[in-house]
Amino acid sequence: MIELNRETLRFRFPEVHSEANCSIEFQRTLRIPDDNNSHPLPPGLGTFPLLHVDDFADRLPADWSRHGGVFMPMYQAEALWILFSGGYPMAVKVAAGKIDAISGLPFRNELTAKPQDYAVLPDQPWLDGFCVQEGLIRQFVAMPLGQGYTAEEQITGVAEHGGLQLVVYPMKAAEYERRLRPGEAGVAYADYGVAPQAVADMGLAPGGLMRQQIYEDEHGLDAWEQDVRSRCFVHLLNSATFRQVTGAAPPHEPPTADDYDRCGLPWFDYYDGDRETLAGAKPLARLDSVAARKVKEGEEPRTDDGGRPKQPRRILKLVPDRNLVREGCF
Amino acid sequence: MTFGDHIREVREQRRRESTAFSVRQVAQRIEVEPAYLSKIERNLVPPPSERTIRRLAEELHEDPDVLLAMAGKVSLDLQEIIRRRPRRFAELLRQLREAPDPALSRLVREVRDGDW
Repeated sequence: MIELNRETLRFRFPEVHSEANCSIEFQRTLRIPDDNNSHPLPPGLGTFPLLHVDDFADRLPADWSRHGGVFMPMYQAEALWILFSGGYPMAVKVAAGKIDAISGLPFRNELTAKPQDYAVLPDQPWLDGFCVQEGLIRQFVAMPLGQGYTAEEQITGVAEHGGLQLVVYPMKAAEYERRLRPGEAGVAYADYGVAPQAVADMGLAPGGLMRQQIYEDEHGLDAWEQDVRSRCFVHLLNSATFRQVTGAAPPHEPPTADDYDRCGLPWFDYYDGDRETLAGAKPLARLDSVAARKVKEGEEPRTDDGGRPKQPRRILKLVPDRNLVREGCF
Repeated sequence: MTFGDHIREVREQRRRESTAFSVRQVAQRIEVEPAYLSKIERNLVPPPSERTIRRLAEELHEDPDVLLAMAGKVSLDLQEIIRRRPRRFAELLRQLREAPDPALSRLVREVRDGDW
C-alpha cells in the first residue's frame, strides 16, 4: 500500500514483513550545466508538493484520473532528484514516460536482472537522472510533452505518457531475516475553473551529466517478493498552471547553478567503492540532452545550458551511511 | 507528564550525547530567550506557540503533533481540515475514539493505482 504523508510517498508491505516499508520524496534542485562535462551532485532544495490526482480530477486531464496516483508542480526546465529512505531492502523501478530510467527499455511492471532495470534500497540513497554510462547519469529535467525533448519521445517517437512511474518490490521476508536483518549476521546498512484540456502535460528529458553510480543488485532476482508490488504514477503539472488547478501557489523557481555556486554553497560527491555499479544503458546514452536538442533544432540554449568554465567551489564528499544529508539552502 | 517535563527530559537526554543541547543553545536555535525555555521546562509558563513547538520538535527530533497534543493544542492544519467538514470529521473522530491502533492504520488513505 502507498500513503501520501504530506510530501512523502510511503510504501508499506505489512503482508510481507512488519518492517517492510520505505519512503520516496522528490527533491527540488539546481539544474546542472548541460555542457557535456560531468558535474558533482547538486543539493536538495526542499521537497516538491505532492497531491492526489483524485482530489482535482475535474480540473486535470481524463488520462490522469485513469492513471491514478499523484501529481506535483514543476517549472519548465526544472530539475529533480529522487530521495529513497528506509532500511528494509526494496527493488525500485523508476520510469519516465514509461521508459525505464536505468535500462532505457520500455517500462514493464516486472523486475529484470539482465539488464538490471531497478535500483536496490537502501544501497541506493537517491537517483538524479537517466543512467547513461557507468558512474554517469543525465539529470532529470522537466520539459513539455510534444516538443521532442523527453526521453519517451526520443526513444518511441510518441508523446503519450509523460510523468514518472514507480514500482516498488519488497525483499522476501525470509531473505531479510536470514541475511540482512540489522544487528544480525549479514550486511550492515549503515475553485479555479481550469478546463482539463488546458493543463499541459510534462515529461522528463535528459539534462546535464552528473557523477552518480547505480549499484548492481547483490541479492539476486530471487530475493525479491515479486508477487507483491506497489505502483504509483507521478504526474508532472507545469507550475504555471498549478495555482489554477489547486488554488495554491507553486514553489518559487529554484536558483540557477551559477547563483548557488557564487554563494559558496556545497555540491556533493558520493562514492561507495565497495559496490559493483551498472554499466549504463545504451538506449539512454544515445539520447540528446535538452541543450544538444535545442542546438539541433536551431534554437538558442538557455543561458544556464551553456556550462560554467570553473569547477564548483565547494564539493563535499559523502560516504555511505544510513543518514546521508544532501541538503542545500539558498 | 507535562509538556515542560517532557521537553526537559528529551533535551537532557540529548545533552548527555552532545553539549549542543544545553538550554542556551537549543533556545538560540529555536529563537527564544534561554530564560523562557527554562521556564517552559519548569512549567512556570504555559506551553509556547505552535510555531515554537514545531521548532522544538524539529530540534529534538520529536513528532510535532505529539508535542502539540501534550501542550493541549491542535495544529492549525488539522483545525482547518476539521473546519472544512466539521460534521463529518466530528462524527468520524467520535466513532474512532475507541478503535485500536491496527484498525486506525487500516483507515489511512491510499494512493490509488490506476490503469497505465
